[in-house]
Amino acid sequence: MDFLHYIFAFDAEHPLLFTQFYFWGFFALVYALFALIMDRVPDSLGNKKLHLRNVYLMFVSWFFYYKTSGLFLLILLFVTLSDWLIAQRIVKSRKSKAESRKPLFWLCLSVAIDLGFLAYFKYAYFFTDAFNDLFGTSYSIVDKIILPVGISFYIFQVISYTADVYRGRIQPVKNILDFGFYVSFFPQLVAGPIVRAEEFIPQLYKPFHLSRRAFGIAVFWIINGLGKKIIMSDFLAVNLIDRVFDNPLLFSGFENLFALFAYSLQVYADFSGYTDIAIGVAMLMGFYLPMNFNSPYKSQSPQEFWRRWHMSLGRWLKTYLYIPLGGNRSIGFGTYFWVTVIALVSASLTGWWLGIMIPYAVLIVGMILVPRFLKDSNRLKLFYSNLNSFITQVLGGLWHGASWNFIIWGGINGFGMIVEKIWRGMNWHIRFAAMTLLTAGLCVADFYTNLPVWRLFAVWAGLVWFVTAIRYIYFLCEGAETKFTQALGTAWAILQTFTFITFTRLFFRSSSNLDPATANEVAWATAKNMVNQIGGAWNNAIIPDFLWEYRWVVAMFIAGMVIHWLPTNWKRRYRLWFSAMPIWAIVIAVCIAIAVIYQFVTADVQPFIYFQF
Amino acid sequence: MKPYQVLIFIAVVMGLLGVLYKAFPNGQLLHKDSEFSIQDSEISVEVSENDTIEEFPVFAEAEVEVEAEPDTVIAKEPEVIIPKIVVDSTTDSRVFLSSFYASLAESGNKVVRVLHYGDSQIEEDRMSQQIREALQNKYGGSGAGLLPLAQTIPSRTVKQQLRMNDRWIQPAQGPKRYLVYGPKRDQRDDGMYGVMGQVAVMNDSLVQGSEELTAICTPLDGRKRYTKWRVFADSSVHYSFAGDSVFLSGQGKVYGLSQQSDTGVIVDNIPMRGCLGLVFTKMDREQLVTFYREQNVQLIIMQFGGNAIPSNKNPGTIQGIVKGLRQQVQYLRACAPQASILFIGPSDMLTQIDGEWQTYPMVPYMDKLLRKMALEENIAYFSLYRWMGGAGSMARWQEIGLAGSDGVHFTRSGARKAGNAVAEWMLEGSEN
Repeated sequence: MDFLHYIFAFDAEHPLLFTQFYFWGFFALVYALFALIMDRVPDSLGNKKLHLRNVYLMFVSWFFYYKTSGLFLLILLFVTLSDWLIAQRIVKSRKSKAESRKPLFWLCLSVAIDLGFLAYFKYAYFFTDAFNDLFGTSYSIVDKIILPVGISFYIFQVISYTADVYRGRIQPVKNILDFGFYVSFFPQLVAGPIVRAEEFIPQLYKPFHLSRRAFGIAVFWIINGLGKKIIMSDFLAVNLIDRVFDNPLLFSGFENLFALFAYSLQVYADFSGYTDIAIGVAMLMGFYLPMNFNSPYKSQSPQEFWRRWHMSLGRWLKTYLYIPLGGNRSIGFGTYFWVTVIALVSASLTGWWLGIMIPYAVLIVGMILVPRFLKDSNRLKLFYSNLNSFITQVLGGLWHGASWNFIIWGGINGFGMIVEKIWRGMNWHIRFAAMTLLTAGLCVADFYTNLPVWRLFAVWAGLVWFVTAIRYIYFLCEGAETKFTQALGTAWAILQTFTFITFTRLFFRSSSNLDPATANEVAWATAKNMVNQIGGAWNNAIIPDFLWEYRWVVAMFIAGMVIHWLPTNWKRRYRLWFSAMPIWAIVIAVCIAIAVIYQFVTADVQPFIYFQF
Repeated sequence: MKPYQVLIFIAVVMGLLGVLYKAFPNGQLLHKDSEFSIQDSEISVEVSENDTIEEFPVFAEAEVEVEAEPDTVIAKEPEVIIPKIVVDSTTDSRVFLSSFYASLAESGNKVVRVLHYGDSQIEEDRMSQQIREALQNKYGGSGAGLLPLAQTIPSRTVKQQLRMNDRWIQPAQGPKRYLVYGPKRDQRDDGMYGVMGQVAVMNDSLVQGSEELTAICTPLDGRKRYTKWRVFADSSVHYSFAGDSVFLSGQGKVYGLSQQSDTGVIVDNIPMRGCLGLVFTKMDREQLVTFYREQNVQLIIMQFGGNAIPSNKNPGTIQGIVKGLRQQVQYLRACAPQASILFIGPSDMLTQIDGEWQTYPMVPYMDKLLRKMALEENIAYFSLYRWMGGAGSMARWQEIGLAGSDGVHFTRSGARKAGNAVAEWMLEGSEN
């Protein structure tokens, strides 16, 4: 009985994850029946065979979700049903001219239902606190709210479906079982990618096809994902990153800085590793999911980074938020609405009502006046684009959770994008002057306050100023642009972007996995302590000791970054080379890879070693 | 490819991996289960494999459910960590705190000092803060007690800012520090570390020669009721005070500053990062004796053992460390014969064993050895490990936000809970 309970019952402490043996046993069984359907059911049945496959995979996906999230499965089923019905209604009401506003009504209803679930599970604590702050009440949420796994992903997925039907970009899915399969397809259900209906639904009606090369690539993605998840992510996290983020004060400035950069690799390896496995597993069943990460740390600007990082979310936000806000064409009600919401949320979270409402009022006045007085259409476009993309970034931050740190994280990302765009538009004289002024200002601030945060900024600005000065001199000397200088420029831009993104993660990591009730306090303390250590407790003498004692962690980090920065062609080549190997060689390679990966699972945890006393 | 071909591929891979697993049941191909040895420079005791203690078989407790002990507070589930104290007059180790309890009666007339030495688990005034608050609320007294001249590790109780020659500096930029528990390069040959195990030397280098230092120490807990500053330093160091600020000049060693009242209980938080607790015998005896006597030190709390766990899988080594700790207890007792001693053992600690987070096998073993040592040395013992709920309790603490993801350190709320439990346990002992 215990065994059956283990197999079939939901256990909150043992969710079904790609990194567990249970999942692969589950997948093998699922695939056995899948193969039976695909190979034994005659092709002459046509669509009925495909329908059988889809229904089978849908029920399998529901079981997968039940094992992962228990009775939260009912939410998944509810939004599946509601969005399917509403999409049908949208099309029907569109046929009648007398009901021209009805499609919009149905769309709003669908979005309200979907976001209502998301808001309850993600923002209930926040809304309760905000309500109490505003009205002096003391309501509280008695029971701890547990976030259903993957809710952020499938909610966005169903919203995209209904919105696309409303816009007439796709026809509604006639069969609810097909739609249910699209929403719940288990490889991407928990952590994406967020698959848009127009990308996936056509695949429901296509027969199974897996070329020999696609098979090899699917296996490669799975092994690649497992390696990323277990070696680059879990190993680094357990042996260094978690302990530094837990107690930054136990570690020197260098260790904190190293952990911060390592976290950048960890979060990428964790998320993209999971997606790689999802893509590989889906491919083995003949379904193709969109790419979600495209070597994001090769980006040369924050804007490019967001085109390469969590691409499915980026596309979603662009399509369903940035463009409806007006994109680079205009600002409208949506922009005013969201600016107001962000200001209220920020003020409520921080309690700095005056400090936030004054800049908010200035911004609103600017939003009204700038379009009237700015005649240069390019500049106006830049203004609209910056404003709407800033809002998109902040809301993207809030999507991760209602914490002050997530707002800061989104805000810094938005700010970085704006600054980079402005920087690109400057000539070299202005760039050098601006950088000189900024660096001087930060140095003065550091000198007079001796606060680590200013030291940190001053050092960073000093480095940027130094490189800017060299480039400025080169420009003044009318130096020719060669391949070498181009490569140097690219490397510098990548390094700068990577560093910038890494520092934004200070706020992202500090907010993750925390009880919402204490998230702000703990996250802020962690971020502050890390900044204080990096800017104030630097100790060069211990760097060699650290590098030696943590040599495996350091080696994994370096290996991870080197692999990440390999040219795309090289990666494509070795992927193809792997996929072209004979099957027996792939079998051996997979076994060796898993055995090596398993060494990292069973490896002893790095003992605590203190260098800073 | 056909689905059945893919299925065969999956089956073959799983079969081969099954064979591999059979051949290497612990899954370890590339690294063997190595025995670690102690590398800490502070260890000076002899460690012998044969030095076993019969009553405590190796690993015997790792799988045994925690049983109630008369001198410990048990909470099997972290949600119900209620310090319910079971008292047994025959074995309650708090009897060894009786002289401390008696001294508290005089706290209305003079200072009664409690020194809380420990490893990183007590940094930032963790646990000491709750013990201080509990004792001061009941017996009077105020002030955070001893502070290092340069506070390299911030405290939750006192915020320190340093100015040198009218310029703000970071603690690391201040006077040269020597640490009895630090790396070799930071240690002294003469043992003159003072009672905190660390000393800062003003104008150590003749080239500098003109350091004038201001330490601004602002209480953060709203308990700004201390009546005076004390500076423990060489006579060649000149100092004066104004409000929260201490001004220092001259040349010589500064052993610590102290914010304290004239009467009542003063609890000093003395964290020694990475320390096994085997360093006291390296500290100058005369200095300790003088301080302990003049400052009326009535209780010394030692909270060590955790740093021995991750690097040591050998029971013999653990026994050696406990033997070394016994020497430290004896040394401190000789330095402060008037003082009671309380030893707080390590908390539950987790490591990955075959990919699963589990309690280090040596934690229960060390806990038992320490308790035995404490009772034999007539000192009180508080088992953090058992109080938390025994093996695996750290994982439950993690789930409810009381412990960090490293499986070793408490979060602030966890430390608060543990500190309150120790304080309540002590106070209840004083009532009997």
